Amino acid sequence: MRRRDFVRTLIATVFASRGLAAQEAAKPQLPIAAPVPWTLGLNPKTPIPQTTVAEGIAEAKLSFFTTAQMESLKRLCDLLMPPLGGKPGAVEAETPAFIDMLIGKSPDSRKKIYLGGLEWIEAEAQRKYKLPFAKLDDGQASALLKPWLRTWMSDHPPLEPHADFVNVAHDDIREATFNSEAWAAAGSGNAEQGTPTGVYWSPIDPESHAMSSNAKPHVLAGKGAAGVPVYPR
Amino acid sequence: MKSEVFDVLIIGSGHAGGMAAKILTEKGIQCLMLNAGPVADVSKDTTRKPAYELPYRGFRPPGRLEHVFQSNEFNANVWVDEQEVPYTFDPAHPYNWVRVRLFGGRSLFWSRQSFRLSDYEFKAKSHDGFGEDWPISHADLAPFYSRVEDIFQVAGALDGPPQMPDGNFVIDDDPWTPSMQRFIEAAKPKGIPVCKQRRAMGRDGLASSVNLLLPDAEKTGKLTSIANAVVRALTVDKNTGLLNGCVFIDRHTLEEMSVKARVVVLAAGTLESTRLLLNSGLANSSGVLGHYLMDQIYGAGLVASVPEARGGKGKGMMGGAAIIPRFRNIDTKSDKFLRGYAFNVTSSTGGVGARNFAAFGAELQQKMEEYHGSAFYMGIMGEVIGRKENHVRINAAKVDAWGIPVLHVETRYTDNEYNMAKDAVDTATEVVESAGFEVLSKNATPNPPGYSIHEVGTCRMGDDPKTSVLNKWCQSHDHKNLFVVDGASFTSAGWQNPTMTILALSMRASEHLAEEMGKLNL
Repeated sequence: MRRRDFVRTLIATVFASRGLAAQEAAKPQLPIAAPVPWTLGLNPKTPIPQTTVAEGIAEAKLSFFTTAQMESLKRLCDLLMPPLGGKPGAVEAETPAFIDMLIGKSPDSRKKIYLGGLEWIEAEAQRKYKLPFAKLDDGQASALLKPWLRTWMSDHPPLEPHADFVNVAHDDIREATFNSEAWAAAGSGNAEQGTPTGVYWSPIDPESHAMSSNAKPHVLAGKGAAGVPVYPR
Repeated sequence: MKSEVFDVLIIGSGHAGGMAAKILTEKGIQCLMLNAGPVADVSKDTTRKPAYELPYRGFRPPGRLEHVFQSNEFNANVWVDEQEVPYTFDPAHPYNWVRVRLFGGRSLFWSRQSFRLSDYEFKAKSHDGFGEDWPISHADLAPFYSRVEDIFQVAGALDGPPQMPDGNFVIDDDPWTPSMQRFIEAAKPKGIPVCKQRRAMGRDGLASSVNLLLPDAEKTGKLTSIANAVVRALTVDKNTGLLNGCVFIDRHTLEEMSVKARVVVLAAGTLESTRLLLNSGLANSSGVLGHYLMDQIYGAGLVASVPEARGGKGKGMMGGAAIIPRFRNIDTKSDKFLRGYAFNVTSSTGGVGARNFAAFGAELQQKMEEYHGSAFYMGIMGEVIGRKENHVRINAAKVDAWGIPVLHVETRYTDNEYNMAKDAVDTATEVVESAGFEVLSKNATPNPPGYSIHEVGTCRMGDDPKTSVLNKWCQSHDHKNLFVVDGASFTSAGWQNPTMTILALSMRASEHLAEEMGKLNL
């Protein structure tokens, strides 16, 4: 008997029993008993999993600064951008860990500003107060940094030693904090200090995907769908 | 199909290439357009995201676009990657080459400032003795400017002095706000003209080749376009010495391909067009190809605050923008520098950036709240004069991702530009202080050359084939069927955003080309 005829016979036998037929009606149709091509299935009705960012959940491993430098950076972050008006400060926004990652990947010139700057504030703290910078109180740390604050325009941070670090780090700390999830979660006090939301451009027709450039990316899948489907359980 | 010879090959799809395609196809000429990059589709390629969802919280991805100050993590993928298409320079004299290879090029992203050059630029040598005059005057280009202004819907007022010719504008008759009026009154005794800004409104929020020019060309059925075609070299018929097409590399597969055409129009952007000519060994009997690279100095200026607008009292007082056209070396002569600069002036109702206060923490917060809505900005656009030593050449030791030798850029600003920037900041300070405003921060150091994205020259036009690459029709002196219609043809840079001039030159050159083809001269 050919396989197709056998299957027909089998199905006919099964459906001959009314009780069994009723039972079958409640079951979804069985898929063909064969491997499914792995690219089939994902379609515009496929729900897109909800994910969140890792910061605030996972602890980042130090990748660039030493533990001592990180302690100084945390103190600097806390001093320059403390929690204010119900908004998190830089430390609560995980800014020190972010800056560690960012500077670790930055060009040498940027690394030099941070490494030199952290070394300098530590040396100054020891010279003036015989304490590590991380242990200075607000008054002591402010007295050390304030003389080096400058006003400056975009793309033209101060170039003089020490002022370069204090002002660049201040700017980075503020931006990283405004752009953090913690800041966004606290709600916007005013529109200007809300976390920026912008139009993000994905890589456009990237070369590494040359062979699949006609395939619709997964992120578009939900677009044409009427909504997230609800399946009977 | 493969043996098809197009009438005109257009390389580049930005404002210059788009205009050439529109004019030529509307005259029935069969055109092939090649663009090095892909087509951008906002609906497919963009998503709205908060900064914290991006790996670098919105900061420019480190090490990736170090010379594109305009970039951040949101837009990092629209710029040309410096590692994919590198260029070289002396580290002591960096150059910011800011490039977009998407279909439509940099016309997709520009500030829309729309000015004509005046005869103070076209006939600059006649005015001050430096450099060369263009072989054309404002009168030659005026009818084309007028048509371009109509297509791009340029808004402005008819308030320009001779150094900023008026045009065919959508009239801006909004009254000045009180803060701007105060500024105008303070500028008047110093002989500084303050005019309404001039900007292209475009259509549906965009003023680009892709929405204002290419659709007209496509409508004719005479335009064929290929994306991801990285042109390696122009080809020449050995028998006639005329160009006959090009060789390009498929961006994805690296396959080399060639196309044929009777005429070649280069519109790849100033430095890419020049790079292509240098790599092809063409159009350089004068020896000036690649020389006289110019742009404008940006970055110098100041931020001030209008005291009466602080504490939330700025409503109705603040707002508006102005352009101060060049005013130095027009009726008087500076002993510090040649030519001059313009100012962009903005009275803002928004916040004042933290960098404008030497404070942090609660003190900074309090300052920012107090000064909110009182900011007044002035930024320079200064002419960089053309010098032969500021040039580009091929660096054969380095190639891009498609094996094409890269460009070496050798250019630097001199005392002329530095003195100009210093004069601009001193003058701006004087004017805003006379108006009773408080200067919060200022900077007299220009950004690196190239930052303005207004690079022009390197294939300058002129009547003498010994001292110029192109004639007054943007046509090569050496090869009559080669036209360069982007900013490379500029003989001097002026202080103006070059876009309107590039568009007008491309329109004029394309009409001339069509006419010559009609007469069978090409």
